[in-house]
Amino acid sequence: MLSHTIRRILMFIPTLWIALTIIFLLVRVVPGDPTAAIMGDYITEEGVRTLKRQMGLDRPLIEQYFKYLYDLIRGDFGRSLVTDGPVIDQLKTALPHTLELTFCGILVGMVTGIPLGLFLALKRNTVWDYLGRFFSLAGLSFPVFYTAILLILVFSIKLDLLPVMGVGEDGNWGDRLRHLILPSLTLGLLMMSYLTRITRSSMLDVLGADYVRTATAKGLKRKKVIAKHAFKNACIPIVTVLGLYTGILIGSSVLTEIIFNRPGLGSLIVGAMQNRDYITITSVMTLYAGLVITINLITDLSYGFIDPRIRYD
Amino acid sequence: MKSTRLRVVTLLVIMATLALGSPAMAEKVLSIGIKSADMGILDPHLSATTANLPIMDSIFNGLVRFRPGSVDLEKIEPDLAESWTSSPDGKVWTFNLRKGVQFHHGFGEMTAEDVVFSLNKAANQETSRWWTNYKSFDKVEAVDPYTVKITLNNNVPSMFGLVLNFHGGMVLSKKAVEEYGDKFKLNPVGTGPFAFAEYVPKQRTVLKAHDQYFRGKPKIDQIVYRFVPVDQGRELAFTKGELDMIEGTKAEWWVEKMRKDKNVIVDILGPGELTVLHFNLTRKPLDNLKVRQAMAYALKRQEFRVLDGLSITEDGVSPVAPGHLGYTSDVEKYEYDLDKAKALMKEAGYENGFDLGKYVASPIYLRTGELVQAQLKKIGITFEIQMVDHPTMHKMIRNDVNPLVPYGCARFPVADVLLTQFYHSKSIVATPTGVTNFSHYGAAMPGVDDLIDAARVEPDTEKQKALWVEAQKKIMTDLPAYPLRVVYVLFARKASIDLGYDLETNISLMYQITEKTDKK
Repeated sequence: MLSHTIRRILMFIPTLWIALTIIFLLVRVVPGDPTAAIMGDYITEEGVRTLKRQMGLDRPLIEQYFKYLYDLIRGDFGRSLVTDGPVIDQLKTALPHTLELTFCGILVGMVTGIPLGLFLALKRNTVWDYLGRFFSLAGLSFPVFYTAILLILVFSIKLDLLPVMGVGEDGNWGDRLRHLILPSLTLGLLMMSYLTRITRSSMLDVLGADYVRTATAKGLKRKKVIAKHAFKNACIPIVTVLGLYTGILIGSSVLTEIIFNRPGLGSLIVGAMQNRDYITITSVMTLYAGLVITINLITDLSYGFIDPRIRYD
Repeated sequence: MKSTRLRVVTLLVIMATLALGSPAMAEKVLSIGIKSADMGILDPHLSATTANLPIMDSIFNGLVRFRPGSVDLEKIEPDLAESWTSSPDGKVWTFNLRKGVQFHHGFGEMTAEDVVFSLNKAANQETSRWWTNYKSFDKVEAVDPYTVKITLNNNVPSMFGLVLNFHGGMVLSKKAVEEYGDKFKLNPVGTGPFAFAEYVPKQRTVLKAHDQYFRGKPKIDQIVYRFVPVDQGRELAFTKGELDMIEGTKAEWWVEKMRKDKNVIVDILGPGELTVLHFNLTRKPLDNLKVRQAMAYALKRQEFRVLDGLSITEDGVSPVAPGHLGYTSDVEKYEYDLDKAKALMKEAGYENGFDLGKYVASPIYLRTGELVQAQLKKIGITFEIQMVDHPTMHKMIRNDVNPLVPYGCARFPVADVLLTQFYHSKSIVATPTGVTNFSHYGAAMPGVDDLIDAARVEPDTEKQKALWVEAQKKIMTDLPAYPLRVVYVLFARKASIDLGYDLETNISLMYQITEKTDKK
């Protein structure tokens, strides 16, 4: 188990390095550069060259790459090519908003999705089951931007209960929470749909298994059979999906952040992409990659805790 | 009884939860939605970001200013300078400064020293993005604490344009720049009606009333500029009342929808964005005047306007946008005439048309490109549109890849700017001094360089305007480009807001907030 854990953790570094290299090269092969964003579209060719020289963009790509890598290893994420501010500062302000949103989205999804999936599995082929499956399918089919605007129209405009945009005042937790409700629901509904479906199907698989029949046959109470024997075994696919979809949720948070005007990583990356702010894009994308790799790592490691068979391999 | 009490308590708890975090209402706060994801820097000499213009406009002053709500260079008002004189040859200018003008945050009185420092900073390549505009400045001197003398090497298209409350003309506190150093970029200190208070990246910038403002204490206590790049987001927040003023969506349906609400005022303002179709004269057969004339006659301006809506657009007829100093509409207009277009194609020897090959367009220019494609097809001219993202398109058209370039922009409202950037041979794309001369006009064929250059140094304003008019006429005769339409800027504000001035036009792409602006 220990060597498995160490091996998985060590794999983190080369995976992140490969992701970073691909990102670094990809953003630079796209035509365009940050000079227009800095100077406006009336900058002269001469001005473009001067500015590129000042920013070090006239250096060979390989030199730029190693410089970036060297700085990154020292913990320096570089300076934004457009605003000239340190990228680390931007990441520091943006990351908490994204993590907060993703975490709440997952929480909403878990709290609603898993019990609902369990319920549907137990009520298999009843009206409840059909309704639940229909709504979870609908939840999956609705794009995030559609759900978000629908929620804003109902809860903000019609009912006037919650704010439309922003993250609220710093330090005012009530205000921050109010601003977090709709975006979390937007992401949470998506997560809920995934989890409902996977919980239902894996519970159904398990409920039909021999050991569940045995447990029932030896006279255990139904509640105990479900909680201890069935659900615990159904957890592996649920955790897998939870890990997998958390990655997808981080991706979906980009759109959610833009619609609710939350200053997270999503809005940071869209702005940087439009301005061709290479340094910011590469740093934010690397951070995203790091987040997804970390989540996958945690998911992998958690298998060992849930399923002893994996632990002893 | 018990249940009623319980209900009341529950209701109170819910109300308290919802009220939690609502801002205090004691101050008059104006919330403005800016169409941008973030702000950038607030040093007016270094910032080229449109989103910053309204913010800097409230913080800084120039020696002179546009009358609020106007961008007419012929109706300039005193700002930090009370009066001015110029020598007969227009090369020596003396500005007499207002006394007792105070900088924000206790940085003291504004004097000639600050003006000299600011103009020299604006003219320095290392500290300004606008330094090329100030190449004609020979000397800027402080004659005494309240008098500034500017000596020019040669005449400039508009002296006021350089000392105006815009870009390089803004006056900064010398002491603050020296004290803050690099941090001045996010700690601006000026003399305007509002002082910088707070900036939260990607969220908001807050300005507070400058009580010692020389025109009087502002009626608004605080301005909160919120960065909301998505059109729908701004609109929803405006409808909800979280924003008092927004930049609108450029579409007629949006205006109609907004105007249905009696509490909303929609303003349609110029100087608009002029879209021009540039013909690449180095591509055969676009070098043939008859072919270009045929294309001009085949293009129907009305249909280009319908793309955004007739009520928010007007025909583009001149290479200069209406509202610019030196604009004329008295040019050859090439009103739509398909028969004439076909006849010209025949005369040019292209009765059966020709293919122009590939043409790159970004989503923003796609509809315009498709319309050009559809209209030119009627005279047998075809081309294939290749979609790329916006920054890619900008890069590629500057690498001279397109046979046709539709380009829309809004510039500082002096004819010289558009004429120089799009029609001077110095500005031809893919050359060291290149800007946006996509047609190669002035090199592929004789152009209007001499007229633009002569106008720039002409001290007599009337003669200067006549030269610009002549240049516009010649361009429309030579037809290196064909103007399509002008789209105006749209803003919406709550009816409860009194701007405090007559709004005709606007250059900062958002309502200007002055000391007289009020919220009822």
